Amino acid sequence: MNVWPVFLREMMIFANRLKKPGYVMAMLVTPLLYLVTFGLGLGRQINMGESTYLIFIVPGICAMSTMTNSFTGIASSLAVGRLHYKSIEEMLVAPISYSSVALGEIAGGTFRGLFSSLFILLAALIMGAHLPLTISFYAAWILTSVMFAALGVVAGFKSKSHEDTSVFSSFIIMPMSFFCGTFFPVDKLPVVVQWFLQLLPLTHSVTCMRAGYQNQNVPIIPFAALTFFCLLSIWLAIVSIRQSLK
Amino acid sequence: MIKCRGLSRAFGKRTVVDKLDLAIESGEIFGLLGPNGAGKTTTVRMLTTLLHPTDGEAKVAGFDILRESLQVKRHIGYSPQEINLDRDLSGYQNLLLHGLFHRMPSAADRSRELLSWAGIESHAHEIVRHYSGGMQRRLQIARSVMHNPSILFLDEPTVGLDPQIRRTIWDLIRSLKDKGIGVLLTTHYIEEAEMLCSRVGIMNKGKLIACDTPENLKRITGAYIVEAQVNDSIDYRHFADKTDAYEFARTLAEGSVRIRESTLEDVFIHYAGERFQS
Repeated sequence: MNVWPVFLREMMIFANRLKKPGYVMAMLVTPLLYLVTFGLGLGRQINMGESTYLIFIVPGICAMSTMTNSFTGIASSLAVGRLHYKSIEEMLVAPISYSSVALGEIAGGTFRGLFSSLFILLAALIMGAHLPLTISFYAAWILTSVMFAALGVVAGFKSKSHEDTSVFSSFIIMPMSFFCGTFFPVDKLPVVVQWFLQLLPLTHSVTCMRAGYQNQNVPIIPFAALTFFCLLSIWLAIVSIRQSLK
Repeated sequence: MIKCRGLSRAFGKRTVVDKLDLAIESGEIFGLLGPNGAGKTTTVRMLTTLLHPTDGEAKVAGFDILRESLQVKRHIGYSPQEINLDRDLSGYQNLLLHGLFHRMPSAADRSRELLSWAGIESHAHEIVRHYSGGMQRRLQIARSVMHNPSILFLDEPTVGLDPQIRRTIWDLIRSLKDKGIGVLLTTHYIEEAEMLCSRVGIMNKGKLIACDTPENLKRITGAYIVEAQVNDSIDYRHFADKTDAYEFARTLAEGSVRIRESTLEDVFIHYAGERFQS
């Protein structure tokens, strides 16, 4: 396995991009807007019993931000590098196994996702929320980031044009942002919709991260489902690289 | 060094490389010459393991391109037609990463050495996006030889470059031969193949239509050409002997005849039955 240089390459590119203020703003602006609008604005009107809506929404927005940045960072970087600049060929023609390429890219996407959502947690702290204190929150957070980075590798290697990546974002990533329990509890929805939402990985991410954030017991089934989706995504990422050469 | 037997690649119903048989010895500069769309790049992409063949087999450095692709990759260097450097990284970072991909213990030292070889050491830490086309091409070739491959694939290494930079690249390629690196070069520039290659394979419509040294290929078709204007078209006659060419020219009307040495383009016309349209 030679995962390290693949990860290092992603980190070098990411570090150079971070020097551009516009890139950092684009990465943070949407989740911060959600946090301010729903957490502070609308949230003050919502009665959550002993807790506050801000405490409810922070893990959801953190999961959403992790998903978006892990997925988009890797999917667009790979699609542009593969279809436009051809820079991905350099890795594919090097003596590195496809698994190493996949794992290195996933590690890069994971770092991007965790890095950006860390700012969301810090922003929430400033607004009056607390930092997560349980291991289960961090475990679910990392699994979420790995899973969506792996799906980013799949989208990056499956895309036949730049538009394909945004289609994937618009029809899969964006709907998950709104329906998987990010802004409202899933158990308020009709039962059929709840069943359907169990098929979407972000539902389990939000459930696990919210339980961890609110110091509740680890939800076993959602955690197992999250782990399953994560392993499935990694396998799909490796397969999609191999298939791109056929 | 490279052996192909019946190597083929189709995209849907379109066959781009058709039953290619080829043997290239180590240490030679072998040119694959042909017009755009002849199948040269697809051949190189299969031999570099970037594309799976739909039929046939090939061995590079003694290893099967499908079953032993990792071993093949350890022995080859590849510089594709398009610049595929990481444009958001510096020249030094591009080379360093290549060294790490190949697990080179002295990747940093070797990167500095190659930046100097390519004549871009003063721009080592600039972002590649800001390099000129010639600098990018030199960096890309430097990167392809960084891990001391025994076989180097150069796909159209001088396409789009001005004549002065093209000569610099030719000098770089010649210096590779001196180091004992075997080179498979694809080009649609006739003079490039004639100047650099010890042997040339001519491809057209996915097939290898001729393969030999440039001198032998020209000898086979006739080393001298008489071009004669006949009505609105030009008639070409090949002669092995210069005297025969002059004697034939004397029989034609004055002013419409030209005698010249044959080129690989004439060889292409001879075998393909059409002009070389690049």
